[in-house]
Amino acid sequence: MATKPDRYVGIHNDINGGMTTIGKIIRDAWVFGIIEESQTCEGWNLAGIDSLLQKVNAEWDKYGCLVSNLPAELYQRHRQIHDEAIERAKAAGWSGEAETDDED
Amino acid sequence: MAVKSYNAGVKEYRETYWMPDYTPKDTDILACFKVTPQPGVPREEVAAAVAAESSTGTWTTVWTDLLTDLDYYKGRAYAIEDVPGDDTCFYAFVAYPIDLFEEGSVVNVMTSLVGNVFGFKALRALRLEDIRFPIAYVMTCNGPPQGIQVERDMLNKYGRPLLGCTIKPKLGLSAKNYGRACYEGLRGGLDFTKDDENVNSQPFMRWRHRFDFVMEAIHKAEAETGERKGHYLNVTAPTSDEMMRRAEYAKEIGAPIIMHDYITGGWSANTQLAQWCQNNGMLLHIHRAMHAVLDRNPHHGIHFRVLTKILRLSGGDHLHSGTVVGKLEGDRDATLGWIDIMRDSYVKEDRSRGIFFDQDWGAMPGVLPVASGGIHVWHMPALVNIFGDDSVLQFGGGTLGHPWGNAAGAAANRVAVEACVEARNEGRELEKEGKDILTKAANNSPELKAAMETWKEIKFEFDTVDKLDVKHK
Repeated sequence: MATKPDRYVGIHNDINGGMTTIGKIIRDAWVFGIIEESQTCEGWNLAGIDSLLQKVNAEWDKYGCLVSNLPAELYQRHRQIHDEAIERAKAAGWSGEAETDDED
Repeated sequence: MAVKSYNAGVKEYRETYWMPDYTPKDTDILACFKVTPQPGVPREEVAAAVAAESSTGTWTTVWTDLLTDLDYYKGRAYAIEDVPGDDTCFYAFVAYPIDLFEEGSVVNVMTSLVGNVFGFKALRALRLEDIRFPIAYVMTCNGPPQGIQVERDMLNKYGRPLLGCTIKPKLGLSAKNYGRACYEGLRGGLDFTKDDENVNSQPFMRWRHRFDFVMEAIHKAEAETGERKGHYLNVTAPTSDEMMRRAEYAKEIGAPIIMHDYITGGWSANTQLAQWCQNNGMLLHIHRAMHAVLDRNPHHGIHFRVLTKILRLSGGDHLHSGTVVGKLEGDRDATLGWIDIMRDSYVKEDRSRGIFFDQDWGAMPGVLPVASGGIHVWHMPALVNIFGDDSVLQFGGGTLGHPWGNAAGAAANRVAVEACVEARNEGRELEKEGKDILTKAANNSPELKAAMETWKEIKFEFDTVDKLDVKHK
């Protein structure tokens, strides 16, 4: 029987070209400088990811959670990191369609 | 050799229950059934059998018929019509005297109308297409706890559709992270977030823990935005006592709205909850899980317009209606028909929308239709055009799937809906000019621009299974 993985595969190995909930956390952590952009979080356990999420949330709280509220420098950094990620994800076959397979 | 599939018994039903000269009274409950008979059974006999078996038919063989005025209480099959484009079935119209049913009880009405009759041997299939509830019966029902206008006043939100989002436990979210997702959606511009219909109180997230973190999210979002916010806390539970316990707690912590799965939870429990909401100033969101089991087969079951009427009488402030333009089932004309049934105070017979009877709701408040599932910002112009202001547009994946996160998805939808409403109010044609309207709005909203780039390639071109009969031609 397959067992649930207890370690994160790393954003570079994640499904949908990294366009996942954990992938978003890591990219935002790069934007805010919480971790280096070379840090893929490969091998991290869930508690480590959760801890990173709390730090990312604390940063977003300063700007009302919105990209359009970011100061210019952070805004540019966000655009650069996320635009590149979206391009990579699209190249890996991701599209928004899978996201709307939700219920009534 | 032919197999004999049906025998009426001592005497044929039509001798007692087929009354083509009967003029329905204003106080009668009227029903339209789509009847698919067994081969060789005359239409009048089948229609009469349906009238009998959904009213007093089972009473006639017992001694109590000597004590009861069967001729007064019986259902009367008073008309038969062809189904356009389908020779396998026909419409049978039946009138029931109001005194056959307990006041204020959709449970009692439906136990008769869709009870044993659906397993009756003379029928191959049977579908309840529509019911006319006389105003005299409507007045005995409690109806929606608050209604559309009171909800707007409670929330201080006017002149646009409300926006919502179902929170998906994508990673088996802890209650705290679940609450965070709610906060981000509400902070980004949504009016409501919502529990998934199958999130009740499972081991991975017990209800009280979820309620506490979600309320924290609501308070934080309200403080930061200056707007009233809500989350549909799903109080559906294994027993109605437990359901009420959860509802009481939601009220205690200040939640403005709770949620119930009205079909799986049951109509008795729903009516109880709706009455409690009315008495306690709470809004009630209704999910329709299981409806497709009943309403999807064009020949058998219960049409959703009937389930809509049942809900309005039983009580609920929101009801999922289908989206017309999303991935999920929904014929446009039929959907517009049951949206009218949810909101209007008087609905005229309109076969082009599948409505078989005039329906007078009197002063009973309306229900907000909820368009939910498989929709995103590119659908916004059509949704605003179809649903109008008195609706809830609910983007689940269309919010949480935004590549920048939940708040960005929420902001994109809020900017889009406000742009569409403004354009409509200026007299522009939303569905024709939708792209221009959204593109212009995105100039000032990077969140909307990113959403439009994420979803622009998507097309939805599935056909509907349950079409209006007029379209079968």
